[in-house]
Amino acid sequence: MSEEPAVPPEGDRLPAEPDHSAGSQMANTMTREPSWRPRRRVVAERVLGVGSGVAALVPLAGLVAAVAVLLVEALPAIRYNGWHFITGSGFNPGNLYGKPVHTGGVLHFAGASYGAFPLIIGTIESAAIAVVVACPIAIGAAVLIVEKLPGRIANVVGFCLEVLAGIPSVVFGLWGVLTFGPWLSHNIYPALAHLPNFPPFSIFRGNTGYGQGLLSAGLVLAVMIIPIVAATTRDLLRQVPAATKEGAEALGMTDAEVFQTVQLRWVRTGVIGAIVLGLGRALGETIAVALVSGSILQTSSNIYGNMTTIAATIVSQLDAANTDTTGLEVKTLAEAALVLFLITVLVNIGARLLVRRSARGAALPVGAGF
Amino acid sequence: MQPRNEGSDLAPLRRPSRANRGLVRAGALTLVGALTLTGATVSIASASTTQKTSGPTLKSLETQLTSLEKPPSTSAALQETGSSLFYPLVSAWASAYSKAHGNVPVTTASTGSGTGQADALNGTVAIGASDAYLPPSDPSNLLNIPEDVSAQQIDYNVSGVSASHVHLKLSAAILNSIYTGKITHWNDPALKKLNPTVSLPNEQIVVLHRSDSSGDSFLFTSYLSYQDSSSFPMSAGGPTTSPSWPSIPNTLAEKGNQGMEAGCVATPGCIAYIGVSYLREAVKNGLAYAQLLNGKGNYVLPTAINIANEVASFQKIPANGAISLVDSKSAKNGYPIVNFEYAIVNANQSNPATAQAIKAFLAWGMDPRNGSASSYLSPVYFQALAPNAMAVAVNLLKKIQ
Repeated sequence: MSEEPAVPPEGDRLPAEPDHSAGSQMANTMTREPSWRPRRRVVAERVLGVGSGVAALVPLAGLVAAVAVLLVEALPAIRYNGWHFITGSGFNPGNLYGKPVHTGGVLHFAGASYGAFPLIIGTIESAAIAVVVACPIAIGAAVLIVEKLPGRIANVVGFCLEVLAGIPSVVFGLWGVLTFGPWLSHNIYPALAHLPNFPPFSIFRGNTGYGQGLLSAGLVLAVMIIPIVAATTRDLLRQVPAATKEGAEALGMTDAEVFQTVQLRWVRTGVIGAIVLGLGRALGETIAVALVSGSILQTSSNIYGNMTTIAATIVSQLDAANTDTTGLEVKTLAEAALVLFLITVLVNIGARLLVRRSARGAALPVGAGF
Repeated sequence: MQPRNEGSDLAPLRRPSRANRGLVRAGALTLVGALTLTGATVSIASASTTQKTSGPTLKSLETQLTSLEKPPSTSAALQETGSSLFYPLVSAWASAYSKAHGNVPVTTASTGSGTGQADALNGTVAIGASDAYLPPSDPSNLLNIPEDVSAQQIDYNVSGVSASHVHLKLSAAILNSIYTGKITHWNDPALKKLNPTVSLPNEQIVVLHRSDSSGDSFLFTSYLSYQDSSSFPMSAGGPTTSPSWPSIPNTLAEKGNQGMEAGCVATPGCIAYIGVSYLREAVKNGLAYAQLLNGKGNYVLPTAINIANEVASFQKIPANGAISLVDSKSAKNGYPIVNFEYAIVNANQSNPATAQAIKAFLAWGMDPRNGSASSYLSPVYFQALAPNAMAVAVNLLKKIQ
């Protein structure tokens, strides 16, 4: 109340004798109210400006902080493990019941040795399987929903996709380890193993295992990323202008030709984006892979073999790592997280390059917009 | 790849050998819970035996336990996480204790020993349960308090063998060959040579291991390491709660003893190391368990007497309670995979009522008149602590402030 309004009230209806009762003051405020609006607007503008600026900084700050903390945490491990971390294998905290020793200023137990090569390979292999399997299915489903299915059924299928996208990953993991994996190993893998023995089918040769392992993990991941890719592709396909398609049809093109020359070109860059999103999910998926992978810190012996990924190892080893009192194993897990982060960044950069190239090469100028 | 662990590194873990027959008998007789070959329980009274050691008698220990068991006057809730081997017993204790002492509700969770240790280290729970003792380098305010004696059996699901409860003979060397993929079928010559009277089928062996950080993995790799110095865990630095398992085609990873048991039941040809508290369940579901080669060259079953023999051969329990009871070189009929179940507790509690509640609950648990009565122990085939171990445990309990 002490402030004077910037703009004087239009009609001064203040009583001649000032009344200091509360009710009167309230009335006072009410009468002055309109004059406050411009000031409020100014404040709102400023709040919006500063607020959105801060909001825009949060993701950046979060990223920088996460990387910085990981880097600081991982630094002793990076120094101790060296390149062996990328090229070697085995997670061995050393003799926890012996005396800790110093090597190059890093405290560790005798015999401590960490190599994440199998984890890195496992991460890339399982994500690659997921993408290779999921993309044709997801894009096919999207085309079917948009082009072929009658509206009501398309809505039902679309709804199912959205529900599938919302299922927590631990449910996928549990389903994978209890139902899907054993079913695959009994019904699908033996048939795959009898495919002709030349590339690319020869990778399916070998002992088919018991449902936990690389292929099972890849397939569970595929089921998880199908809805991501399918839903995005469906939305993109719906944006393809009917006139362009009809034009192509008028030229006598078949459905397949229209899809290839018009729709696919139109949505290509967007679909690549969706696939990268799915790939990101597959690379970082933790608990589902931890359950289905068969958890061994080794490269799988064949496509069915037990394996692990970086994310799954972090979650499965953290408890054991906490009992390493030199802290080296926790720091090593931070280093593994850093490697995973690096892989994700590289995938994103690669995707951007791919999008740029495919946009440039598009025959239809409309496709370049994405 | 990395330096091999020298024998001397492990020396402090191993118990000095020298059998004492009298003590073996006394130790066996003081046991309350008992395990027999057929799975029936036998209780052996301890009252009539004469204790020949100079240590405290059971009677004086029970007096000390009684005073420790005094619950706090104010309320204090306790959380326990950890060992899935200990879990069936701790959860029975928790419900009974919470019912009797309304102001000390105890909640339990089977998370694996690694998590139990980590949670106790981080102070997120009052009690971390573990089959493995903490490394000596851990903060000195963390106590390993032995609560009971437990064991681990090797289970298998072999056609025509498990259903008729045949106890195959196995050794650390054989198990190492199986876990490294050198032996892949149940009719392997090495297995047939050890078990000439058993008709072993030409069945693929499926190797089960724990996916979580596990005290059972620690016990299993202890057995392999101590008995077979060329075994895979030994060449990787010795026993650990999360071993680097060799990459072989037919393996499955399972979470918790519950997962191991269910996985083995569901997988013909499987072999699995499972805590003794799941023995009853495993046998009921058609799994059989092995006779293991012990440190004296005999093949023995995890019977009450054999477990007691093993424990009794370790006469001197270190004051911090940290000792491996695996593969005793002096117990003629000792079952080789035996361990103390530990409660891992921070000695410096911030709240006096919590400190008192922890002391009271753990004392109640190890007390042969309460939590370690045969009614609690025999269903899980655990055994109460012998006086020498209980004396150590009581002293450790007293350190909780």
